[in-house]
Amino acid sequence: MKILRILLVIVLLQNVHAQDLGGDVEKGEQLYYNFACYSCHGYNATMRVPLVGNASGIMSSEQVFLTYLRLRADQNPTNPKNAMPNYAASTLSDEQALDIYAYIKSVKDESPEVEDNPVMQEMLDAAKARSPGDAR
Amino acid sequence: MTESEKKSDKSAEISRRAFLGTSAGAAAASLLGNNKSANAQTAKSADRTDLPGQSAEAAERDVGGAQPPADIRAAQRPGSDLMVQVLRDLEIEYIAANPAASFEGLQESIINYGDTPNEMPEFISALHEESSVDMAHGYAKSEGRPMAVLLHGTLGLMHSAMAIYQAYQYQSPILLIAGRDDTNFLRSQSADDIAGIVRSFTKWDAHPKNLADALAAIQEAYRQAITPPCGPALVVLDTELQKEEAGDMLVPTYVPPKITGISNRDAKAVAKALVDAKNPRIAVGKLRTPRGVDDAVELAVLVGASTSTRAVIVPMSFPQRHPLCGPGSDTDYDYTLGLETAGVEAAIIGPHRRSIEGRDETGIGYGFIREPPTPVWGPYKPPKPGKNDMHADAEASLPAIIAEAKTLLSPAQENTIAARSKNHAVANHAAAVEALEKALEARRRGWNDSPISLARLYAELWILIKDEDWCLASPTQFSSGHNRVLWDHNKPYSHLGMHGAGGIGYCIGASTGAALAAKHRDRIVINIQCDGDLNMVPGALWTAAHYRLPMLVVMHNNRAWHQEYMYAQYMAGVRGRGGDRAHIGTTLRDPYINYAKMGEAYGVESEGPISDPSKLMAALKRGVDAVKDGRPYLIDVLTQPR
Repeated sequence: MKILRILLVIVLLQNVHAQDLGGDVEKGEQLYYNFACYSCHGYNATMRVPLVGNASGIMSSEQVFLTYLRLRADQNPTNPKNAMPNYAASTLSDEQALDIYAYIKSVKDESPEVEDNPVMQEMLDAAKARSPGDAR
Repeated sequence: MTESEKKSDKSAEISRRAFLGTSAGAAAASLLGNNKSANAQTAKSADRTDLPGQSAEAAERDVGGAQPPADIRAAQRPGSDLMVQVLRDLEIEYIAANPAASFEGLQESIINYGDTPNEMPEFISALHEESSVDMAHGYAKSEGRPMAVLLHGTLGLMHSAMAIYQAYQYQSPILLIAGRDDTNFLRSQSADDIAGIVRSFTKWDAHPKNLADALAAIQEAYRQAITPPCGPALVVLDTELQKEEAGDMLVPTYVPPKITGISNRDAKAVAKALVDAKNPRIAVGKLRTPRGVDDAVELAVLVGASTSTRAVIVPMSFPQRHPLCGPGSDTDYDYTLGLETAGVEAAIIGPHRRSIEGRDETGIGYGFIREPPTPVWGPYKPPKPGKNDMHADAEASLPAIIAEAKTLLSPAQENTIAARSKNHAVANHAAAVEALEKALEARRRGWNDSPISLARLYAELWILIKDEDWCLASPTQFSSGHNRVLWDHNKPYSHLGMHGAGGIGYCIGASTGAALAAKHRDRIVINIQCDGDLNMVPGALWTAAHYRLPMLVVMHNNRAWHQEYMYAQYMAGVRGRGGDRAHIGTTLRDPYINYAKMGEAYGVESEGPISDPSKLMAALKRGVDAVKDGRPYLIDVLTQPR
């Protein structure tokens, strides 16, 4: 059974098409909050287990996203395999899931690069400048 | 007087009367001629004589209508003066307490006895016994030695039980003193064996029956607390002992404990192995005191060993940025010594709390009679026994190993060690820079998000404190522990580690205790404060304000008991019921709690909530400036969940 699931994922990933149906971003934002997606992924899908941009393969297409949610939901409920909660279709419809997908896709991470971040650059410069013999 | 002034004056009078009309002020009200109030109190107390378990005397005393017997008050040299002298000889810096009627004798001696009253120890007013013990826990982690706590009979012990339990789990030394009074007024708050309440998670206790034994018991409790395995030790002091006439009784001379290290033979063998090794390594866990850390550094430098450290998650470990700390120039180590942690060829590991026998006869597991389910981010995780373990305190073993190594080293070996150490320093520096580069790249995402990224909070705070003498007193696993890779933990007290057993409410009290330690040491304390934790015992803020403690409280305000939120969300998913109701009972919404106002209410300068990341640095700077000036400061920051 486990092997079948893995094969299914591989097949799905091989058939990724940019044919997103286009969920509702505004509804998706509210659902992202209501279903507590933010609890692990941050309010802007940028934290801890980031989803924004190219951070996660789960977001490569709507179908992959849906499949991942449903695979999680199908897993043995008494023996969860990872920290991702289950989302069965009975509790989060396809339409709702795709709204969430659309919202996450709409989020832009405008974080500066390390070299353009004065705080981070100061930290890095200080670390580099520390003499190897300086045990401050 | 204008009408307005009359009204104001009347309000003040009413307020004053209201204050005097409370039980605490009933006696004073009587003296002021407020007979109506005093009579009312008497009638009330008469009604209460029927309450089970409370004597008429106790009821009378509760309303302030009773005083201790005159002969007790007339003691010329009360026993509690001698108790304070014992504490003074032990150089107990602070003693924290809620005031209570079972230790009024001792409290009066603390604040009035001797040429330097209320010094060594200084009486610290706490608003909850849990906070008192948490303060002592934070102080002990910071300094590697105990401060004292005064607790009131059964009630105070029960209030403090969780905090004592956590200190026990962390093996933190604390001197606990519980007042007991079942002879005069407070039978309902007493019991035959009040120490039994916390016996399963204290290291030692005593209930002396005379003054001489009481003085000896305080000294023994101190010895027990600081002797590994360290932990809280308790002395129960009856009120009568505190108040009795000591006459010409002498305070006994304190004899420090003999803490056993490894044998001289083993010390020689370890020293020889380190000196002869071509690439020795020393793994350092949690030692007991700053002296142990100094000795570990001396040994590593002496033999040119690269080291590993746990300083990013526990106090009293090897300095993180010491030139020898890191993988070194060659990771093919030919001799690895563990100090309070596992070592490949040898490990010196002191007794753990589970070696304390006879304290947990019910086997419920407080003493880890059963194998502990230690959490991955847990407090102090003792290594699993290895075949080359030497069961003795590592810190006590170091002086002999150092002395032996010094005698063994030849000039040629010293030259080799100097060259090796230089190579280690270069390699460790490069490794540290590389690790920081990776850490920053992983943490730049979401930099400009609102609510504020916790990585940004840690990074910006670091810029402001990196040149200060600082102590991070709060556990950091709930805020993702960004300090571990972004900050430099080079002092024995750089990070005070976890709660002990994950008990919420610890953080604000322990940070306040660390700030007590910091106050006279030109140090500042950082407390990344979880919102759920602060709501347990916020009164510690008042203690920080009252004693002008250098504590910066930065709220990690995610408006939830977030761990539990995720648990509920997960459980709903497992059961196929969705996660959209997981917020019920796990979040702090409707209304949101205003922590800046909470801080102000307790007298702590406060600001926030801050959700705009561009305003964070300026707020943090105001906070750091305040604590450097000796004023606690609270910043409410709306953060990402983790």
